[in-house]
Amino acid sequence: MSERRYKKLKTAPQLKKLLEQHYLAAKYFHLGKPIAWVTSGAPVEIVRALDIFPVYPENYGALCGARGASAAMCQVAEARVYSPDLCAYARSSVGMMSDAKHAPLGGLPRPDLLITCGNICGTVLKWYEAAARHYHAPLFILDTPFIHADDGEPTAHAIAYVAAQLEELIAFLEKQTRRKLSKEKLLATAMLSSEAVSLWCDVREFCRARPSPLNAPDLFLNMAPIVTLRGTKECAQFYRALKEEIAERVARQVSALPEEKYRLVWDNIAIWHHLYRFYNHFVDYGACFVTDTYTGGWAMRMNDQGDPIHAFARTYTQVFLNQSLRVRVRDMADLITRFDVDGFVMHSNRSCKPYSVGQYDIRRIVTEQTGKPGLVIEADHSDPRSYDDETIRARIQTFMEGLR
Amino acid sequence: MENMPQEFWRWKEYNWHAPDIAWRNAKIITAGVDVGSVSTQAVVMVDGKLFAYANRRTGSSSPDSARRAMDCALEETDLALDKIHYVVGTGYGRVNVPFAHKTMTEIACHARGANFLYGASVRTVLDMGGQDCKAIKIDAQGKVVNFLMNDKCAAGTGRGLEVIADLLQVPIEEMGELSLRVEKEPEPVSSTCVVFAKSEALGLLRKGWKKNDVLAAYSRAMAHRVAALLKRIGIEKEFVITGGIAKNSGIVTRLEKELGIVARKPDFDTQIAGAVGAALIAKKMKDER
Repeated sequence: MSERRYKKLKTAPQLKKLLEQHYLAAKYFHLGKPIAWVTSGAPVEIVRALDIFPVYPENYGALCGARGASAAMCQVAEARVYSPDLCAYARSSVGMMSDAKHAPLGGLPRPDLLITCGNICGTVLKWYEAAARHYHAPLFILDTPFIHADDGEPTAHAIAYVAAQLEELIAFLEKQTRRKLSKEKLLATAMLSSEAVSLWCDVREFCRARPSPLNAPDLFLNMAPIVTLRGTKECAQFYRALKEEIAERVARQVSALPEEKYRLVWDNIAIWHHLYRFYNHFVDYGACFVTDTYTGGWAMRMNDQGDPIHAFARTYTQVFLNQSLRVRVRDMADLITRFDVDGFVMHSNRSCKPYSVGQYDIRRIVTEQTGKPGLVIEADHSDPRSYDDETIRARIQTFMEGLR
Repeated sequence: MENMPQEFWRWKEYNWHAPDIAWRNAKIITAGVDVGSVSTQAVVMVDGKLFAYANRRTGSSSPDSARRAMDCALEETDLALDKIHYVVGTGYGRVNVPFAHKTMTEIACHARGANFLYGASVRTVLDMGGQDCKAIKIDAQGKVVNFLMNDKCAAGTGRGLEVIADLLQVPIEEMGELSLRVEKEPEPVSSTCVVFAKSEALGLLRKGWKKNDVLAAYSRAMAHRVAALLKRIGIEKEFVITGGIAKNSGIVTRLEKELGIVARKPDFDTQIAGAVGAALIAKKMKDER
């Protein structure tokens, strides 16, 4: 396995411990709390406020990828006639459901209920239906209308529609848990969530510095708590420590890379199974991914003060994968300008269709608008069988030769 | 060996050298070695002029293939490898050229090579090689502006052609001409995968199709697939094709028809474009040092 070739964070052991504790607690110490399987775009604050323990099969899929276990898990799912064209997170999850004994961490805990949300993709709907059938557990589907507006703003009736479903979600969860949602607790959770998101935004913004204090794999690894532990004290605490460390790096002009010669933007989910090997190809050229479109997905500050349900409805509908191509172009061009980069690399991710469809158009338009070149790499976020290092290396080399 | 079965996929290996260039008076001698997945070319240039080249099959070892091609290029000349000032390796085996000073990707090399061989007006290069196809947009200096490659599939590549040559028992160098000798252009084979296309071709033969018709159906499918790659990147004039498949008139003709644009025809071997580019880049690197 390849080693990372750029500066390690002091907070890395803290991150590792936080996630280990999360998975351990999910499996063994959830203390009578019901287990909910939730998607990365689900309004987890409501779940936490009801003392339900959320776990993230998508994060588990990434973990399978990073641990080199996803191909085996996917094959189990494929043997059960799940198409290899499906998302590898979904296949890893189905594989784990069928063969937990051979899955990392012995598999995820059995869900007492499931919540899926259409704001990130359509796969999670069918994936969660399959899981709900498998475990005979109730499933809640939150429908978030796609945003067509060029400014990325949902319409008032879309927000009202989602807010009404959130009320239904609360009723569903109250019924399942036989508990009553406390408004105070929901507000407190929302505050903690908002604090962590805000800190995460600050960490990402620090990378505008030259040299950048972080490379994209740092962002990928450090986004785990914002996804899986959003709304907890530990999560906010972690990001406070991370922010402090990054602020110090910036103040002392500490670079993530040995020498930063080029600055790039990353688009799409990380290539978990070849994380260091892949990004080291860029380190060879002194190219640092100073920002990305992926980990920014969890860096949306909530606006509507006072009414959390309304704020959740807006925020969870506005997720970038629920936005039009124009908004994706706008956001990419904005990152290119603000982070002062030399080019961008798009991962055409076989697993993630909603993220990958349109990339060629986005690339063309963004290059027209900014004059910065873009490279498309074809791979998969967690199925290593769709990764061809030699072909990828040739493309990276050609792209970097062009930047010089 | 009389009983050896004929290898229909095998193409001619050869070398060439300029009879009238005196390398001893040269300011700079450079070379480019393109170790591809199927073939390896070595090109030697004297003061930026073509001096010698060779085209050989790539073996299991990239260093050996590079050495063999270089030896073959220099074979009938009195130039020795140690007199060459600078060597650039390219192609899939580029990092394994033992005598190379630097490496460059084949995309950059084909771009530069096409610019040299066809002239500065070339804007779109299609490199049809052994295991992949690349559509490359270049500027007047032969620098890459944009590029696209086929992905994880050998359809539309030289290796695919070799498979079909073997299956139909048609010498690979005659495939193009034979595929054009059909009464009526057949529908293309439907599959884009070499292995599946092979089974489909077998099925057509069983149905009683003539070899030429099967060749035409396969060539059409290949042209169609590559045309899509070119359409994605956008074709600008002048348009040229490099790599081994550029020698297959059946595919080139069909591609031109589908795209509505004529590719400039070369008066040299299209397979050497990458190595020529590498030798030119070697010259530039040496000049800049």
